[in-house]
Amino acid sequence: MNRDSYAIALNNAMTEIKKAYPDIKNSFIFTKNGNIITGDQEADEKTTNNVLESFENLKEKTKAIGNLKSVQITGKNGKLTVSNIKDMYLVLVTSKNADKNYIHSITHVILPTIIKTLETFDNTHLQLTAPKKLIVDTLSGFFAGDSVQVDTEILTDWTNNNDPRARVKATISGEQNLQESINQVQIETFGGNAAVCKVKEINDQDLKGKNMIRIPEKLCKSLEINRGDLVKVKPVV
Amino acid sequence: MLVKDSKTDDTENDDENIKEDLQEKLQEIKDQEGIIGYILRGSKSASIDLKDPTKIIEYAVLSSATFDAGRDMTEALQIGEVDNIVVESEETKLLSMNVNSHRISIFMEKSFDHNNLYKNLK
Repeated sequence: MNRDSYAIALNNAMTEIKKAYPDIKNSFIFTKNGNIITGDQEADEKTTNNVLESFENLKEKTKAIGNLKSVQITGKNGKLTVSNIKDMYLVLVTSKNADKNYIHSITHVILPTIIKTLETFDNTHLQLTAPKKLIVDTLSGFFAGDSVQVDTEILTDWTNNNDPRARVKATISGEQNLQESINQVQIETFGGNAAVCKVKEINDQDLKGKNMIRIPEKLCKSLEINRGDLVKVKPVV
Repeated sequence: MLVKDSKTDDTENDDENIKEDLQEKLQEIKDQEGIIGYILRGSKSASIDLKDPTKIIEYAVLSSATFDAGRDMTEALQIGEVDNIVVESEETKLLSMNVNSHRISIFMEKSFDHNNLYKNLK
């Protein structure tokens, strides 16, 4: 799951949480480095940045008592709660009399569970797109180009594994799983060299289905590999 | 000839009375187990009482930063004037609040219930 999918999933989760807890007026999530992951429509960018800037200043000074875990500000017309969840901070703006237990359940139970679930999806995804060990064949000649070639089946396999949820959905619905194809791969040699390059299907019928990767000679030289060597190849998503 | 405004005098006296009252309460609070110390800041003077005097400057800076952040964030989010702020780290908690023109910051262990302190001082 890439960062955008993660942000969308968190945003959807926050939207649903807001529906369940009408006391929440605004919410957004940012990283410990101050990057905003997701925020709702009600909080404009200027407001969010102002809050973030003030919070960063406070976080710096809070080092006097340790790492900042949470801030609650009660104003005359509402309450602001900033809570540290893993490597992120959740900002909730609620009505002044919002139920403390609800807020606590969001910050300490619901959102951490959602984040954990998303991370589990992320790990599953990584396992599914684990590198494949392929045998090197060199591509030479005028038309060698700068793309490597692998079996169509490998590309299809990577494409289908690209988004596990879409794959499950396609299996359930019986529809064809239409996803973006893999355009680039990362090649890593056992000597520790690596390169990212464009990828195409193997066009030579005789070389198909042999667990092979055809790499232009020039790239072989830079990776310090020869024909018959094994390399680890994974898609760049 | 020196002319004194009696209204100003009354205000100053009230302010002084509130300060004395708060100081008294804070002294009692300070003796409770789990309280690390406090900072009381008025318009003209401030008093700091911490169990570890070496941290006076750091805690005073944090107290001030807390009020600044509270003001800025409530303004940005339009949730009205700050009533109180609670900042928590792994082991320590800070309660900051305004009582009339006085700013109070109380440092305590995280497990300490700050709600009772708030009610006592407000």
